[in-house]
Order: sequence, then C-alpha cells, then structure tokens
Amino acid sequence: MIKFENLSKYYPTKQGRRYVFKDVNIELPTDVSIAILGPNGVGKSTLVRMLGGADYPNKGEISSDKKISWPLGLQGGLQGSMSGRENCRFVARIHGYKNTQEIEQKVYEFAEISAYFDEPVKSYSSGMRSRVAFGLTMAFDFDFDVLLIDELGAVGDANFRHKSQALLESKFETTKLIMVSHSMGELRKYCQAGIVVKNQNIEFFPSLEDAIQEYKDTYVTAK
Amino acid sequence: MTRTSLQIMRDTVHALLMRELKTRFGSSKLGYFWALAEPAAQASILAILFTLLGRNSLSGVPVALFLISGVMPFKTFNKTVTQLSSGISANKALFAYRQVSPIDPILTRLTIELATFFIVYMIILSVMAWLGLDVWPQDILELITASLLLIALGFGIALCMSSALIYWQDANKLLGMVMTPMFFISGIFFCATMIPAKYWYLFTWNPIFHAIELSRDAFFASYTTPVGSWGYLALTSLSFVTVGLMLYRVNRIRFATL
Repeated sequence: MIKFENLSKYYPTKQGRRYVFKDVNIELPTDVSIAILGPNGVGKSTLVRMLGGADYPNKGEISSDKKISWPLGLQGGLQGSMSGRENCRFVARIHGYKNTQEIEQKVYEFAEISAYFDEPVKSYSSGMRSRVAFGLTMAFDFDFDVLLIDELGAVGDANFRHKSQALLESKFETTKLIMVSHSMGELRKYCQAGIVVKNQNIEFFPSLEDAIQEYKDTYVTAK
Repeated sequence: MTRTSLQIMRDTVHALLMRELKTRFGSSKLGYFWALAEPAAQASILAILFTLLGRNSLSGVPVALFLISGVMPFKTFNKTVTQLSSGISANKALFAYRQVSPIDPILTRLTIELATFFIVYMIILSVMAWLGLDVWPQDILELITASLLLIALGFGIALCMSSALIYWQDANKLLGMVMTPMFFISGIFFCATMIPAKYWYLFTWNPIFHAIELSRDAFFASYTTPVGSWGYLALTSLSFVTVGLMLYRVNRIRFATL
C-alpha cells in the first residue's frame, strides 16, 4: 500500500505557483501493476519522481512500507560524467553493498554494450542509457516490491525490449510496476490497474480498461 | 538488511567520496601532485620575492615557514568555499536516488578538503624539516583549532552560497570577485605587528585575518598576535554555519528540482 496524505506539489513559475497536485488523498495498492495515464505536462513524471524519492512534495507526504525503486527513466539516475561501471558501483554502494564487483558484472552482461561500459554515460545513446538503467535494477535481483518506470521502453531496440519483457514477466509474482508510457499496447501488456492524473488530483481505477476509457473521455478530443 | 538513517548517510558519503576523489584527483595523472604543488608553489614564489627584497625572516620566523603558515589556511578556506558551493549542482543527477540528499555531496567535499589540508600541510612541513627548518608548531592543538574554525567558516559560507545559487546563478561570480582581494587583506604575507596599530581596524573585521593571526601565534613561539581573537573567529564561523544550515533546511525541496 502506498499512501498519499494531503499531498500538494507546485512549481514556481513567472505567473506564480502552478499546482501539479493539490490536496491529494489516496491509497494505491501494491499487489497490482498500475499504469499512469495523462497527457504531456500534467505531472506523470513528477508523480513517479515523488514516489521514487527523487522529488519532494511541497506539502503532505507519501508513505509506504514497501520497497520502491528509484525512477527508471531517461532523465535521472545515471550521472553523465561517470562511466556505466562507475554508476553501477555508486548505486551498489549507496544501497550498502561493500563488494560491488558482482553487480557490475551483472549489469555489464545484461546491458551488452561491451567497451562502452567504461566510457562516460554522457557519450551513450538513449538506448544504451536505458540498457544500463534497466540492467541496474535487474542486478539487485529485483529487490523491490514496486518498480517505477518512466517511458523506459520507448527507446530500446527489439532485442532489448524482448529481453526486458521476459525479465519483467519472470518477476511478476514479486515485483509490481508503476509505469508511465504513451503506448497503450505496452501498458495493457504489463498493467492491470490504472490511475488518471486530472484536475490536480489522482483517480484510481482497479481495471485498466476503465482508466483508459476515462483518459480518453477527459483528454483525447479526436476520437 | 535494514539500515538506520545514519548508516545510509555514511554509505552515501562513502560512495560520493569514491566518485569525487576520482574526478577531483584521478582525472589527470598529476591530480594528487597538484594538490601539493599549488600551495607549495604559491608560498615559494612569495618566498623568493621576499628573499629578493632582502628579507630572510619575518617577525623572527623564516620567510618560507611564515608564508606557508598563511598560504595553507587561506588556500584551504578558498577551496572549501568554492568546492562545497558547487557540490550540489555537480551531483544533482544522483539525487534521483532517495538515499542521496543534497547535504551529502557538501559533507563529502568537506571531508576531502579537511583530509587534503592535513596531509598537504604535513608533507610540506616534513619537506621543510628535511631542509633544516624547525617546523614543529609551538602549540599544535591551537593550530588545529584555528584551522578547523576557518574551515568551518568556509563550510558555513558554502552552505549559504548553495542556497543563494538557487535564486541567483551569478552569485558565483560575485564570490570570485570577493575572494581575489581577500588574498591581499587576510595577512598571508604580513602580520598585525607589521601594520601600525591605528590601521588594524582595516583588517580586524575579517575573520580569515584572525584565523591566520591565531595560527601563527600558535605556530611560532616568537610571535604573539596583538589582535587575533578566538571569540570573534568562533562567533563568525558558528553564525555562518547556523545561517547556512537554516537556509539549507528552508530550501531543501528546491535543491532536488534545481
């Protein structure tokens, strides 16, 4: 269970505070995978970042007794000036691992980017980045109850998609997803429930199809 | 494996330390060498100038030793302020992990500056001892205290700077403009007894001047500072650390979305 209490989040703009979320009170289950639906700029990524502890609400709090991953996506997580290997080492260390070699090796094998693994991340293509980012969570043996994914699959090639899909499916019993994607096909594949971000609030639907319907009714004008 | 908050912080600072050491000293092959060469070269150049002017002792202290006792604390203060205040922006990609909070890179860099200061100071003094100078400080505890208070001042100012940088990116330029003249008015190549007493007021507002005066007082038996005040130095350091921590606390959400 992930609990939102009186959560408000705003960004200061030249026109004053722009609220992304206002007084959100909701409990999300952690025994199903959840798709996050909403148009660009409505706060999906902000929501994922707050769930992952990369951003903080201005008011209220998010609490959970489950282990939630960091947000896996294109923006965050990997430091550009460090190599893929150094990033792995860093993540292993902040998670309390004393010996990081095993994790480095696992990511190296999963990412299949060979010599680039020791080059700075800023020289990577976005596909290579997502390979390392995804490989990292994999290397922790999916030690998470909830995996946060923000448009990660969008840049992978067929080979990588196949590999990550197989991996996600094999862990489905223990690890659930909270996922942002603009591909309905991808969401249908992984998620059973959905939330729609709307009117600075979050609405939960136990059935993904209901959520997609709500999303279409609210936001999609060309039917 | 459940860790307490403090253990998580320790692991994070350790991870950042490994990363920072590599970028700071490991990026060029001579990285560690420069940490040593920079203050040594600065002191040497000043020492050569003074020797050419025909001085071989200042206030009864050999020129080289006198200068290094001013250059080392000042260099460290300067580095502490600049390195620590850029710590947050240099590591912001890593705040994506919930374990890493914005104060961690600042504490990491503080650790590096502290360690560098003590190691470099000891190496330089050892070399001087080998060259035949009497380098053993008269009161080593007082010398360490003065240095720590000055580094604390740098830490406090850097915390304030980190917060200021959120609102005003050019604050760094202002800092650079202030730090350059500081080199000339902090008593690096002179001390209070060389200045007429009626002009002391031009220098005594400056806590760095106090720190260097007190360092020399502690270092050399032959020098007693007429102006250096522990109270003033401690008060400014503590004030800056307090205000810096308060600003950090107030702005902690903003650091994440920098």
